[in-house]
Amino acid sequence: MLSERERERYKRQILLFGEDGQERLKRSHIFIAGAGGLGSPVSIYLAVAGVGEITIVDMDSVDQSNLNRQILHTDRDVGKKKTVSAIEKLQELNSDITVNAIDTTITADNVHELVGRADGIVDAMDNYPIRYLLNRVALEQKIPFFHGGIRGFYGQATTIIPGRTPCLECIFPKAPPKEVFPVVGATTGVIGTVQATEVIKYLTKQGEPLAGRLFIWDGLVSKAEEIAVEKNPACPACGAGSPGEKNAVMKREANKSAAEKKRVEKRAGKKR
Amino acid sequence: MRVKVRFFARFRELLGTDIITEPAVGTTFASLVSDIAKKKKEGYDAIFDDNGTFREFVILMRNGKRVETSDAGSVAVADGDEIAVFPPVAGG
Repeated sequence: MLSERERERYKRQILLFGEDGQERLKRSHIFIAGAGGLGSPVSIYLAVAGVGEITIVDMDSVDQSNLNRQILHTDRDVGKKKTVSAIEKLQELNSDITVNAIDTTITADNVHELVGRADGIVDAMDNYPIRYLLNRVALEQKIPFFHGGIRGFYGQATTIIPGRTPCLECIFPKAPPKEVFPVVGATTGVIGTVQATEVIKYLTKQGEPLAGRLFIWDGLVSKAEEIAVEKNPACPACGAGSPGEKNAVMKREANKSAAEKKRVEKRAGKKR
Repeated sequence: MRVKVRFFARFRELLGTDIITEPAVGTTFASLVSDIAKKKKEGYDAIFDDNGTFREFVILMRNGKRVETSDAGSVAVADGDEIAVFPPVAGG
C-alpha cells in the first residue's frame, strides 16, 4: 500500500501508470553495477521514481576528474568512497526507499550474492569483462539486463530479456581494447536516462522495451538510430549448449520436480 | 552498383559516415571497407590489425544482419546493400 505522502510524491507519474504501477515500483529491487557516469543518472532517476530497493555497487573513491559526469558526487565528496557519497545523495532525494550501497569489486565469486534476488540488473560499468559476468547472472536468474555504454559524445543501450532477446555476448562477443575514454557528462545523461526509462517501463509494464534493438546515440550530430540485433545460436553465454543454457535447463527441471513434489504433497495432505 | 557504408562511434569520427560507393561486381565486404578506411591511416588502424584483418571486436552488419568478420573476405557485397561497421563502446 502507498502512504498518503507517497501518493502525493508520485502524483504526476501515477497519472501515467496508476497506483498499481507505483506499487510495483515500490515492491521492486534493482541492482545497479557502478556509481559512476551511468550509475549516477540511473540511480538518481530510479530513486526519485520510487523503486523500493536499490542496491548500488562500486569499489572506487571519488576523484576530482570524475566530477564532469558523475553527478551523484560533488566537490566535497572528493576522496570519499563513492558508495558513501551515493547513499547520502540517494536517501536525500528519497527517504522513502531503501538504498544498499556496497563498496566492493564485482567478481565471479561474489556476483551471485551481490545481485541476490534483484528484479533486474543495470549495467553502469566501464568494462566488458564485468559486463559479461553480469550478463551471465541475468541469464541464469532470468532477469532483465539493462545495458549501456558510452564514449565521447556517443552512446549505446539495449535491454536484454533472457529467453527473448540476444544477450550481451551475442551482440558484442569481443570486448574493445581498454582505454581512458573521453566523455562529456551529458552523454552519460542521455544513455543513463534511457536505461532508467527502460527499468521503469519494465517494472510498471508500460510500452515496448528496447529489446532486440541496439539504441545508438551520436551526440555530435544529434542523431538517434537503432540497429536490429539477433541471437547468436552458437553464443557461449546463451546459445544451446552454453553453460548458462545448461544451467537454465537444469534449474527448470529442478523447479518442475520441486513443484511436482509440492503438488503431490498437497494432494496427499488433502487426502488425510 | 551502389553500396552505402555507415561507420559508427570512433570509426565515424575518423572516417565519416554514410559513404556511397560504387564497387565492382564481386567486391568483398573486407576489401570494400578496407579501401574506404585506407583513406585515413588512423581510421584504418582502428578497424584493421597489422595483418590487414578486422580487429576482433569490430561488428559488421549488412542490412541489419550480422556478418562474421572472419567471413568478410569471402562475402561479396550486392547492389543496394547498407553496411554498418562499429565498435562496442565501453565507458560507463
